[in-house]
This record gives sequence, C-alpha cells and structure tokens, in this order.
Amino acid sequence: MNNLAGSVKTKLPLTIVMLLAGVFMIIPFLWMISTSFQSPSEVFVKWLPSRLDLRSHIRIWTGDYSFVSYYWNSVKVSVLGTAGAVFMSALAAYGFARIEFKGRDSLFLVYLSMMMIPPQVIFVPKFVIFNWMNIYNTHWALILPGMFSIFGVFMLRQFFMSIPKEITESAFMDGAGHIKIFFRLILPLAKPALATFAIIDFSWHWNDYENALVFLTSPELYTIPLGLQNFILENNIDYNGMMAASSAAIIPMIVIFLIGQKYIIQGISSSAVKG
Amino acid sequence: MKRRSWLQKQGWMGYAFILPNMLGILLFFILPALFSFVLMFTNYQFANPDVSFTGLDNFKRLFQDENFYSSIKYTAIFLLSVPVSLILAFAVALILNRSVYLKGLLRGMFFLPYISSGVAVAFVWMLLFQPTHGPINEALRWVGMVSPPGWFADPDAAMYAIDVVQIWFMMGYNMIIYLAALQEISTEQLEAAKIDGAKTGTITWKIIWPLVSPTTFLLLITGLIMTMKSFSLIQAITQGGPSGSTTILSLYVYKTAFSYYEMGYASTISWFLFAVIMLITVIQWIGQKRWVHY
Amino acid sequence: MRRSKWLVTVVCFLITALVIGGCSGGAGGNTNGNKPNTDPAPTDKPAEKVKLKLWGAVPAEAGPQAVVEAWNAENPDIEVEYIRFVNDDPGNLKLDTALMTGQDADLYMNYQLTRLQKRVDAGLAVDLSTLTDYKVDEQMGPDAAQWKIADKYYGLPTKKNMAFIWLNKQKLDEAGLPVPPIDWTWSDLQQYAAKLKKDNVYGLLQHEAAYTATLDGTIAGLGVTKADGTSNFDNPLWKQNFEILHNMMFKDKSTPEYSEQLTSKMPVDTMFLKGEAAMLTAGEFIFRNANNLKDYPHDFQIAFAAIPRVNKEQTDFKYPGGLGDVLSINAKSKNQEAAWKFAQWYADGGMLPMASGGRIPSSKSVDSKQAIDLMLKGVEDKYDRESLNNVVFGKFESFQLSVPQQVIDARKEEFEKYFLNKQDIDTTLKNMAKRHQEFIK
Repeated sequence: MNNLAGSVKTKLPLTIVMLLAGVFMIIPFLWMISTSFQSPSEVFVKWLPSRLDLRSHIRIWTGDYSFVSYYWNSVKVSVLGTAGAVFMSALAAYGFARIEFKGRDSLFLVYLSMMMIPPQVIFVPKFVIFNWMNIYNTHWALILPGMFSIFGVFMLRQFFMSIPKEITESAFMDGAGHIKIFFRLILPLAKPALATFAIIDFSWHWNDYENALVFLTSPELYTIPLGLQNFILENNIDYNGMMAASSAAIIPMIVIFLIGQKYIIQGISSSAVKG
Repeated sequence: MKRRSWLQKQGWMGYAFILPNMLGILLFFILPALFSFVLMFTNYQFANPDVSFTGLDNFKRLFQDENFYSSIKYTAIFLLSVPVSLILAFAVALILNRSVYLKGLLRGMFFLPYISSGVAVAFVWMLLFQPTHGPINEALRWVGMVSPPGWFADPDAAMYAIDVVQIWFMMGYNMIIYLAALQEISTEQLEAAKIDGAKTGTITWKIIWPLVSPTTFLLLITGLIMTMKSFSLIQAITQGGPSGSTTILSLYVYKTAFSYYEMGYASTISWFLFAVIMLITVIQWIGQKRWVHY
Repeated sequence: MRRSKWLVTVVCFLITALVIGGCSGGAGGNTNGNKPNTDPAPTDKPAEKVKLKLWGAVPAEAGPQAVVEAWNAENPDIEVEYIRFVNDDPGNLKLDTALMTGQDADLYMNYQLTRLQKRVDAGLAVDLSTLTDYKVDEQMGPDAAQWKIADKYYGLPTKKNMAFIWLNKQKLDEAGLPVPPIDWTWSDLQQYAAKLKKDNVYGLLQHEAAYTATLDGTIAGLGVTKADGTSNFDNPLWKQNFEILHNMMFKDKSTPEYSEQLTSKMPVDTMFLKGEAAMLTAGEFIFRNANNLKDYPHDFQIAFAAIPRVNKEQTDFKYPGGLGDVLSINAKSKNQEAAWKFAQWYADGGMLPMASGGRIPSSKSVDSKQAIDLMLKGVEDKYDRESLNNVVFGKFESFQLSVPQQVIDARKEEFEKYFLNKQDIDTTLKNMAKRHQEFIK
C-alpha cells in the first residue's frame, strides 16, 4: 500500500501543501475570531486587534441577550432533530436499498422530487399545517419536520447499496429477517455513513435560520441563528458582538465533527465486510 | 433464483420500513407542495385573504419576464461550481484519507467553511475579491494581467466570483461524504491491485473511482439540487447585485415571495425550477446505469 | 420470520406513537401564553392580566425595554412584552406570519408605507377611527396624513423621521467653508466635497439608507408619473443629479467610486467619526454612535446640512423625513382595547426613553425640548447647536415614499450599471423609465 498510504517522502510534502490549502480554507474563520476581539472602531480596518478586547465575549454571555438560553434551545432542537433524522432515514434507506417491492423506484423518485421544491414557496402551507397541529411557535415546529430528511434517505440508500449483497444474502440463508439484518448487520457496517450524515444534518439544524425565524416568535424559544439577529442594529451591524457570538456558536459544531469523524476513520475493516 | 423469491416474499416489509418516513414526507413536503401547486394559478399575495384564480396569467407573465430569463443564465453559470467542487473534493478526500499526517486537523480545516458564519464568509470574500487592492487582483496583476476583473463590482464577472466561493463552501461537504465512501473500500482490493503492479493513477481511476461511483452520483444529484436551491450565501455577499447580476433563480423566487409577497407568481417560478431540476435528475437517473456501479 | 414480523409491528407502532406523542407534547408544552384559551379576554375574568406583545425593529436595549418596563410598572393589569424583529424582508415575513395567528402579536411598528399598505390589504391593521377618539392630525401635525391609507389612519406615526448630511465642522472651518444654507444644491455639494477632499479624507460619504434621498425627494415633488400617466423616471433633474454624482466619483474623486463602496463594505459612520470623511449623508440613527465617545472618540464638532436639491430652479423638491415608526394594532388581536390604550400612552410620551437613540416623539403632548435634551445629554458641546436646530429639528415639506419595492429594485439595478460604467446616462434613464412603465402596466 505504499502508493496510496505513502511513505514519509510523499506524505510530508503532501501534508505541507494540504496545510497551506487548509489555512486558506479557514481565513473567514480566523477573521471571525480576530474581529470578536477587536474594539468597535477597529472593525474592517485591521486584520488583527491592536489589543485583546474581551468586552464582546463577556457581553454575549452576561449582557442583555440570553445566549445561554439560545444555546440550550439550539442543542435541544439539533440533537433531537438529528437523532430522529438519522434513525428515520436509515429505516427508509434500508427499505429502498435492500428490499424489492412494487413501485419502489417510482416511489423513490417521488421522494427525490420533493427535495427539489424551493423552501420559500412551502413556507405558507407549512405555517398552516403547523398552526393546525398546534406546534407553531414551539420547538416541535423545527424538530418534527427536521426528522424527515430526504437527503438522508438518499445518501444512506447509496451507502447501503454499496455494501456487498453477499453479506445480507448469507444472513437470509441463516434465517434472519430484515429487522435483524438491519439492526445487526447494516447499521454497524454503515457507521461511517451514519456518522457523516449525522454531522451534516446536525450542521443544518444548528445553522437553520429561515425555519426558526418564521416559526418561532417567543424570544425564550430562540435558537442561536435568531440570537445573532440581535447584532443587526437598525442601520448597521455590530460586527464585534456578532463575531463573538458566532465563534461561540461554532464550538459545538466542531465537537460534533470531531466525535463523528472518529467513526468515519474507524470505518469498517475489510474482515468485517467479508463476514 | 432462491434469493429473488426471498426478497419478493418479504416485499411488504419494504413498505413497513418506509412508512414512518413516508408519513412525515407526506405531511411536511408533499402536502405543502400540492398547496403551492394550486397557488400557481392564483394571484395570492402573502397574508392577503383576497385570492382569485387567474388561470394561466402567471405563466404568461413568466415567459415575458426578463428578470426570469436573466436569472436562468446566472443559474447556469452558478451550476458550473458543482462538478468542479466535486472533483476537487474527491482529490482532497483521497489525499486526506491516507497520504498525510495530521488527518484529523486537516479534515477539520477543509470542513470548516461548510459550517462557518455566513456574515464572516461574505465579508472575507469581499475583501479577497476587492478590485483595487484585494489580494486576488494583486496576484493577477503580478502575473501580468493588466486590468483584472472587478469581480463583485462587475456585472459580467460577479457570478464567477460567486462560483469560486460556492466551490470553496461545498468542498468540505463533498469531501466528508467521499471520505465516508472511501472507508467502505476494503484494503484487500487495493492490496491485490498493488501486487499486480498497478500504478497509483490506475488504482485511483480503475478501482477507487468506480467503487465510489454511487457516492459521486449522490453528490452530483444533491449538489445540483442544493446549488439550485441555495441563495443565502449570495444573499449575504451581493444581495443579488451588482445590478442583478447574481440574482439566480432561487434568489429571484426568494425576492418574489418574501420581498414582493407575490406567492402565486413565486410558486410559478418555483415549479418551473422544479421541472428543470426534475428533468436533469431523471436524465442522470437513466444515465447512471452507464457509470454507477452498486 | 414470525418474530421479525411481530417486531416490525412494534417498531412501527412505537414510531407512530412517538410522532403523535411529539405533536401533542408540543402543544401541551406550549402553555406560556401562546394559545387563545390560556389568554382570556379581560371582560371574562377582569382579575386576570392582559398580556400584549409589541413588535418593533429597534433593539430592545436601545430604548424599548425601558419603555415596556415603565409601562408594566404603571399598569399591573396590562403586561406588555417587547419582541424585536429585524426590519428586512425575512424579518417582516416573520412579523406578518405572527400577525396572522392573532395571538403572537398585538401591536407592531411599521417603517415603510408600502409595508403598512400590504398589512391593511391583508386585514391585519385596525382602522383607528373605529376606536375611541384620538385626533391624529391634531396630535401629530400635518405630516401624519402621509401615512393615511384610503383616507384612514391604520397606525399612529409616533416619531419624527430625519435624513440629512452630517458635517465635520472642524474640516469645514479649516477649508474656510460656512455651514451651508438649507436650500443648497448638488452643485454646491460638489464644490464643498472637492474643497474638503484630502489625502485619505473623502469629501462626501453616503450611507446606503440615504443614497437615493434626493432622487426620491425629486419625484415626490414632480410626481412618480407624468401627466399622461407614463413613468417620470427619465426626468432631467435625475439626469443632472446622476451626472454630478458620477463626476464626483470619477472626476473630482471627492466621494468613493460606487464599486469601491460596494466591495469594501465601508463602515461609513465609523469613517466619518474618525475624521476620514468631511460629510456624511445619513439619518438620525448615527446619533447612537456619535454620542458614544468611548467607542467612537472624536474631538470635532458636528454640524448639519439638509439634503440638497438638484438645482436652484427646482421648486417642488420635498425632503425625506416627515413622520415614522407607525404603531398599528393587529386586527386579529383579542386585546385591541388594551393595545389601543398602550398605543396612545406610547405616542404621547411613553416612548421618551428612545429619544437618546434619536427618536423624537411627534405627538404635541410631548415637550420636544425634553426629548432633545435626552438625546444630547452629556455631549451637548459636540454639536453645532444652530444647524442642529435648523436642520435636524427644522420644518420641511416632506413625503413618504410609496413606490413599490419591485420598482425600487429595478431602478437600483439600472443606476448601478451607470455608476459601474457599464451603461451611459441616457440608456440608464430610458431603462429605468421602461421598467417602471412595465410595472405600472
């Protein structure tokens, strides 16, 4: 595996090149952190703060805005939504990938097509439905719809399909049912895919602005993206505060990424595939 | 033939697995979609209870709407970002999968754009593309370009600058899904090829690329759909300007629905958008048999 | 086989239960005053507190919180909660959605005439003449009438709107220029800017919100359409205005080129307060930063000039301003009487804590001197009192812009092409008129 895994001779230069590219990728992130430590009159003028101004960071946690509550609400909505979406999507993906039934492919295309509807035009009907279900202005208006991810079904279906058929086939021969195969075989094998979907879905929930904006009106229910709106003043933007809050908001995302990517790396060893 | 009969016998289980998800999709996607389908034939203004059916008026308007035609053009340019970011992400995923040190850190760095704050992204890219003293144009002048484009201040170049930002943004997303796909390739297959004396390039294109083709297919379809639908990045950077030159279809829908409140007309544009994406998807769906290997 | 069938039934049942349970759980968990049945009308149980929700776009800490707290202290039977929305498209959508439910918004602020119009059309604003007598014209003065819709008031215009040019008096003195007269023109402005320009100092900066002030004032006077009903967007005054500004950008270089302003995200208020510009077109909203000497230190005095007309011959120019912050009552609210009580209190002095941010009450029941003192507390010496009185608190013939957003956007797209040198002035005017015309049709 020298070609692909590489020796020190190829690995070191590649690492350096990738690090340089990586720094380019995170420039906005660095600017965000730098700005959060600047004083208001320095924004846009300097790349680095002339001295560390901690006021913005202190202000978001102790000031007029209840970022503790925004944080908690975001965690609640994102965790429940993501957990639901991973489970629900995996179930349906298995149905689409491993079971043959009448109308499967056309049903799947209907699924896919629903992904294509621009969200702007279904806001009004969604509002009507939420109102009827009595979940407008509750966290359920974000969690419940968030549990149904067409992307998740599609993505996991693709991954389940690339798991060798022989594995499930031999399990069938041993008399296992679909439920058993799903929980005992497919789910453990698909850990990298499930973790990847969880990371991506979590980031969507975490950063969801439009749904939260329209469907939550009580400030005590606000999530972080709505909290950030506090920094948009009437005719200008409080960049220091916004960037301080954004820096704090990105931390859980990084934690989720780090946890998730462990599973991605662990992956499945070849022996597991061979059964 | 025994396998086939097994699968058919348990066919009803398929519905059982899909049912819970189906209920949600029905309630939160299909039902609202049907509602907006009806709106296409009305003059519905958001919040206004006075609605009347206007037949095909919205369609007539659509085909005479110059903003609509120009937004199609800009959308096409925007879609160029999908294949480019796909290929770049595949290369990066390949490298970050095995051939570097500090894997975790590097993966994190490449994924970070996907989760960064939109405001920070918008601002920094504005600075990078600044026409007179931004680093990108400084570099272009340094390599000998006399008058580099004005990027976000030039209606003819702004959309391409947006493409660059979109590629940068989507890289992490594509990369992480490719990484997951690469984990499913068993080492034995690669070792065997290595023993046969295959070169890295051959292994990549003849073995790895076909093996991840289901993922490429997924990323191509979802990439096109998401790119077609996305507007928040553009909204944050240019708000569709200068002089409308970055107003892609989805942003036009957004403005029509949320700024002008013309929900009926916005539905019409959306369903057109829907038809286009659907067509592309169906073509890809049919075409996948040629290159996607499950 | 049998076992797995059984299992699948259980799993499906569990999931269905979870979904349904989730829904009802959501409804049950939402008891903090959002549902109509937990929010009884005061007539049923007079002992119980009425809860009102007031929506506005001013950040809570910039005054509204203090206003609401003062009210709640005085009125134990009516509790008001302030909810802030951002006055952009999605923010207004949020407000309109909440208005439709009737329980999440009782009172709300309108900032543009076109938005109020939409809400009136949608039946979301109470016709104030149906409520107890409050003579809006008498209380708020003649400018209030600009907010009438079909000859009726659907909201109280509570504050004075202002748009004007901020001047760095020190730089004016250095250049030997007097504070300009009220009726100055764009040619004067051009000369001022050219004389005030220095290395790293712009003669003139314009805030985005005030960029089109003269354009709007011109058509407010001329009429949006000509006598024959066709678009007036190709009028010669606009042409002159555009050309002067174009010259200032590219010939005099006394104001930033449009592309520069577009791509640098210039923080114009910070730049002005740091002395990097001698003049700034903006509104009263700069007062908040200008009064904050800690974060925006400056040692010069600030003087004021009115928005200039295009030329001396222009007689029917109107000034952006008039009244603003129009407080409406949601027609679907169940507590309209309580809301009306609050609205009157707010307009007739309750809003004073917002004065420090530049919001001067329009009601004659408020002593405007008191409001001005509040606004300038501690920084009186930073302003040129004479021009402040003449311009900021002067009387002008004003207007409210009633051009639909679609047309505003189309106009912007066209003049952007001109300022980016992609289109000449005549084509620009022609296209603006053409696109306006298409919309009228």
